[in-house]
Amino acid sequence: MDLSTFLLMRHEIVLLVVILLLIIGEVFIAESKKSSMVHLAVFLFGIHTLIGFLSIDYGSLFGGMFHTNALIQFLKNVLNIGVLILLLQSGDWLQEKIIRVNRGVEFFILLFSSLLGMYFMISAGDFLMFYLGLELSTLPVAALAAYDITKRISSESGIKLILSAALASGVSLFGISMLYATTGSIYFTEISYVITADNLTVLAFILFFTGLAFKISLVPFHFWTADVYEGAPISIASYLSVISKGAAVFILMILLFTVLKPLMHIWENMVYIIAIVTMFIGNLFALRQQNMKRFLAFSSIAQAGFILLGLITGDQLGTATVVYFLLIYIFSNLAAFGVVQAISLETGKEQMKDYEGLYRTNPNLSLIMMLALFSLAGIPPVAGFFGKFFLFTAAASKGYYLLVFLAVVNVTISLYYYLLVVRAMFLRKSDNAIPYFKSKVYMRLGLLITAIGILVIGIYSPIYDYIYELSRNLL
Amino acid sequence: MERILFYILALIIVIFAIAAVSSRKMLRSVIYLLFVLCSIAGLYFLIDYNFLAAIQLTVYAGGIIVLIIFSVLLVHHIELELELAKPLKQIITALACLVGIGVILTTIYSYDFKVIENDTAITTADVGSKLLSYDQGGFILPFEVISVVLLAAMIGAIIIAKGKQVEKHENKRIE
Repeated sequence: MDLSTFLLMRHEIVLLVVILLLIIGEVFIAESKKSSMVHLAVFLFGIHTLIGFLSIDYGSLFGGMFHTNALIQFLKNVLNIGVLILLLQSGDWLQEKIIRVNRGVEFFILLFSSLLGMYFMISAGDFLMFYLGLELSTLPVAALAAYDITKRISSESGIKLILSAALASGVSLFGISMLYATTGSIYFTEISYVITADNLTVLAFILFFTGLAFKISLVPFHFWTADVYEGAPISIASYLSVISKGAAVFILMILLFTVLKPLMHIWENMVYIIAIVTMFIGNLFALRQQNMKRFLAFSSIAQAGFILLGLITGDQLGTATVVYFLLIYIFSNLAAFGVVQAISLETGKEQMKDYEGLYRTNPNLSLIMMLALFSLAGIPPVAGFFGKFFLFTAAASKGYYLLVFLAVVNVTISLYYYLLVVRAMFLRKSDNAIPYFKSKVYMRLGLLITAIGILVIGIYSPIYDYIYELSRNLL
Repeated sequence: MERILFYILALIIVIFAIAAVSSRKMLRSVIYLLFVLCSIAGLYFLIDYNFLAAIQLTVYAGGIIVLIIFSVLLVHHIELELELAKPLKQIITALACLVGIGVILTTIYSYDFKVIENDTAITTADVGSKLLSYDQGGFILPFEVISVVLLAAMIGAIIIAKGKQVEKHENKRIE
């Protein structure tokens, strides 16, 4: 093992360097010039995202504790793009609200450490690294959720997040320790040879699954979602619903399809039931939400239910459709949260009825919101339709016709409440509609990228073919 | 002899663990937790994991408990008793816990564990070299990642703690 093999960890090393540079910047940049920290952070992270696309070898390091391949590289790049858009969208908020009270750099450091945890989690070659990655990706977000320290509801959401996350990761760790007891190893490759479906292993799997189900906010473990999203700053709610959920789905997929493949006859039943319950509960609760953040929280729970349709197949088609759907989901949900953020930053309004008549005053924002909601609902011209369509095809190819039927029922329900927002924006008139305003450059850039993504990913088919190629070998 | 010692330690752990979560005074809970952690160190001594036992005593029983006591004293009125949940809630929670324990214990006891006889005691030198080795079975990567976890946790704690101070600072400026 010489120095060049360390370059396999390029994503992690570069991100760590970015974090350290920001810490040094915090120390040496004068108080009066702190607002340039946002530009610096966005710039550094942009470079990091670009470096991520350079081609690289694949392999494993540290005796198999860290491994990487083409698909994992791609997943990390997807997360990078998501975080970059998120940074652009929250740039103005940071400059107006956060830098002024001298808390800006910590925001980036915490956000990037959480992303670093996700890298390690996705690249994990054993359960120890997986668990550490899970912790590193959750802990900083709890501090970020409590970032609006002046608001009581923000501190409350931070406490809720850290307590429920601690419980979930404790349960998960208990499951991992049982797996170690039955298989005698923590390395994924060794476990996959010896794992058998006896009672203790199944119990271990259920407990372990809980920890990830919590992060993805699948239904029996979803209670924290709406409260935390409502209280946390919008950027963090967006981060939790897009990046954090995406990374957890990625690692769950990798584990289910490789290490835990011998238990497939057990987990497919679990996933089947959880998928149905998650879709129905998420959608039915979303129907009656008035606060946009709570609304998007339940919508993201329902979307997690749809993702499970791709997970249930356990093959290459399933992998490709899940990754493809998540790529679209990241763009759509970031667009929706971005619009909510732009409006909230300008006017402080977050209720659905505040959006009435928005099209007449702010047509551009309304159009992007409409694109995002259409994409989330799965209406044909935009990317979301293809994402859902491929997921359903994957599930149907394994003969889960009833599940696909129930999913289609749920798409119909979700269409109703997504259109409620569209109706409020386009058809309703309001005397005190939000007046016209112009967002700053960062926000406009962030929204523009998401809008282009929503339109292009659906139409430009080589993207799906590329993902399908990558999904050939998972481990 | 070992068996008797194990059961004594196990009994202490179970009793004080229950006491720690059911006591209504914060400080007492912490002290009960101290007994639990010390007894776990005893378990490690029993299976000849001397290094781990020492770490358990110094870090957990020594360091962490002191930290918890400090934070309890700083944040909370020690005399204040925690509220009891409603009776119905208590019953449901107790039932859920009992079912959970029942399922887990029956599954564990019905499993046929393979016993591996291992006479070689693990020395501190072994632990040290494993911790810094980057081959199979080495732990340098997790070791380094933990340092990032701690860094992030510290910054998070600082950010939450410093919030109020910044506000006061601003107010002064306005005055």
